[in-house]
Amino acid sequence: MAMNRITKIKRSIFSRSSLRAIIAIIVFLVLWECGSRSKEWLGHSLPWIGLVPPPSAVVLVWMDLLGDSGYWESWYLSTMRVMSGFVAAMIIGIPLGLMMAVSRTFNSITFPTFEILRPIPPLAWVPVAIIFWPTEELSIAFVTFLGAFFTVVINVLGGAKAIDMRFYQSAQAMGSSQWDIFRRVVLPATIPSIVVGSSVGMGITWNVVVAAEMISGGGGGTSGTGGGLGFFIWNSYVGGSYEQIVVGMISIGIAGYASSELLRGIGGFFTPWLKTR
Amino acid sequence: MEQVEQLLKRTLPFQVVSPETLGNIAGISQRETFSEGDVIYSAGQSANDVYVLASGRLHHAITPQVNAKIHEKSLNAGDVFGWAAIFEGERIRLADVSCTEPVEVLRIDGTKLLDLLRRDRNFGDAAMRSFSQLISQQYYLPPSVANRVPSTLAAPATTAEEPGEPAAQMASTWTLTMYRAGEWIRSPDPYLMMIGFMLLLGSWYLTVEVFKLPRFEDLPGLTTVVTEWFATDPMYGLSIHTSEYYQHVWVSIRRVAIAFLLATALGVPLGLFLGWSRTFREYVFPVFELLRPIPILAWVPLAIIMFTGSETPVIFLTFLASFFATALNTMLGVESIDESYTRAAYCLGANRWQVFREVIIPGAMPYVFTGLQISVGVAWFSLVAGEMVSGQYGLGYVINTSYTMVRYPTIIIGMVTLGIVGYATSAMVRVAGNYMMQWRLREMALGGR
Repeated sequence: MAMNRITKIKRSIFSRSSLRAIIAIIVFLVLWECGSRSKEWLGHSLPWIGLVPPPSAVVLVWMDLLGDSGYWESWYLSTMRVMSGFVAAMIIGIPLGLMMAVSRTFNSITFPTFEILRPIPPLAWVPVAIIFWPTEELSIAFVTFLGAFFTVVINVLGGAKAIDMRFYQSAQAMGSSQWDIFRRVVLPATIPSIVVGSSVGMGITWNVVVAAEMISGGGGGTSGTGGGLGFFIWNSYVGGSYEQIVVGMISIGIAGYASSELLRGIGGFFTPWLKTR
Repeated sequence: MEQVEQLLKRTLPFQVVSPETLGNIAGISQRETFSEGDVIYSAGQSANDVYVLASGRLHHAITPQVNAKIHEKSLNAGDVFGWAAIFEGERIRLADVSCTEPVEVLRIDGTKLLDLLRRDRNFGDAAMRSFSQLISQQYYLPPSVANRVPSTLAAPATTAEEPGEPAAQMASTWTLTMYRAGEWIRSPDPYLMMIGFMLLLGSWYLTVEVFKLPRFEDLPGLTTVVTEWFATDPMYGLSIHTSEYYQHVWVSIRRVAIAFLLATALGVPLGLFLGWSRTFREYVFPVFELLRPIPILAWVPLAIIMFTGSETPVIFLTFLASFFATALNTMLGVESIDESYTRAAYCLGANRWQVFREVIIPGAMPYVFTGLQISVGVAWFSLVAGEMVSGQYGLGYVINTSYTMVRYPTIIIGMVTLGIVGYATSAMVRVAGNYMMQWRLREMALGGR
């Protein structure tokens, strides 16, 4: 069994597709490096790519930053903001979505209003949030919350609407109460869409947090590298250290990817019946 | 008499008429017998009677002057011929009919038959239409001949048939819409919807302007925003009567449109190729996946560095967001196509290009349009961020500068306008998608969804 798994992993690492992936990424990095260094090597810089810092310089800068406490503080602050907004969106969004799915009257009252507010991009709320909330931290969390909230509600509602009518009918025919139907039919059927909604929402929250930090100007940071990853990027831009911008972008990419994967893992734990393959 | 009615009931034109009319037709029909080789009528004679073949076989040859697809035909018991006797205008035989066996026929006077059918209000017209159908389908004659059978309706058959139909169809869709609207008005939904709006607007109005709750009193109130928005002389310089307002809206729409079109033009082909060719995907997709987790908004400073001016960075950001969504969904769409479709196409001798054009592209369409809808949404999302951070003009810029210059009501105007414009553009994409994928809509309607 153990041997089998090891050979499987080996096979997937040394397979043709992963080899091609590695080749592709190396080619991409080489092209990037050449493009960025075109000014030194060719005498004149290529358009667009010539202005981007080369990957080798980015790696060097990143190495330095790994020892910088401000950089890690940014990680921490951004993660906390994302988490607070996201958790609030889950706590409010999931019950709201379920209530809209279960009660027709409630749905008729809230859904049109909800649909009117939904097309407004979350970032357009930034100034209003800053005016309204007493601290900057709360306003960033609020905008982050909005980013995930609409997606979560829509996904929960969609999941509940997609339930086969016959499930309700057979549950009712066999004498289940309202609560039983909710507990045994609606809830299990919506969990997969809750998982999808939350991982999509997580992606949006990282997007929003970066922008909110850029627009509101960070806050709470002790140094130029602190105050959140979005602020870190913006500050690097203002300070002219372009390598740091790329470091910040990659860091946010890693953070967003890791949190989406984490959510997917947790979701898989709650939906074991979907693991058929 | 019973027998005659039974026979008539079996023929195509008369099976629809009422029992009363059927009895009357049986009353005016006369039995006649012919022996083998007899000619019942030949082309060019004047046509007075319609015949129904009761037993035996006949040879029916239409003159070459008439454009029939097939000229010769043998008739069996139950067939109706001699329909030229109920034509409108000139009634002249168009065929030679001779007996290949001893036959028995029913002869029905054409003028009397027409009279009877006209009197049958419910089914007469249907019988007339069956005659036209009979002429075009069993005798393979063009509609110009088939339409010479008159209609019991006031207008002559030739004009009544074709223009009448779309009109009827339009009337039915219109009534259907009206019916649905009526149902909706009678259901509690619109009133509950109004309650929802009232709750939202009411709580905004009460908390901000009436009770002036702490924190809320800093926000712009409902009445302030509305009066500002519709003022001919706005206090903060932006309302529906100022040209700047439309300029900002127009700039934003233009940016989104450019980015969206560019993203569609590049993203759809890329997604199709990614899904279609394994090799291409194995080389390109890893790089795609490497760049995708980076939030679009983290690109803002890099975009400003890479592109000069204030216009290109914003368009680039908007484009990037749309591009990823479109390409990824298109790829998923290609992957969603059932393997057996491509295999079937290959088995039937299609080459790679034909499979791509006839199977891959239409098969991926539903996902492509889902992707385009997402793409419009994220385009507005990142446009606002781009405009807020850099850029001049545009709704995001309005919102941000109104904040820094303390023109609070204008912030709300910008937000609401963004919501309206964003909603309108995604609705446009949805309508376009539904229009281009009628087959899918029907499929879904049949599935009861």
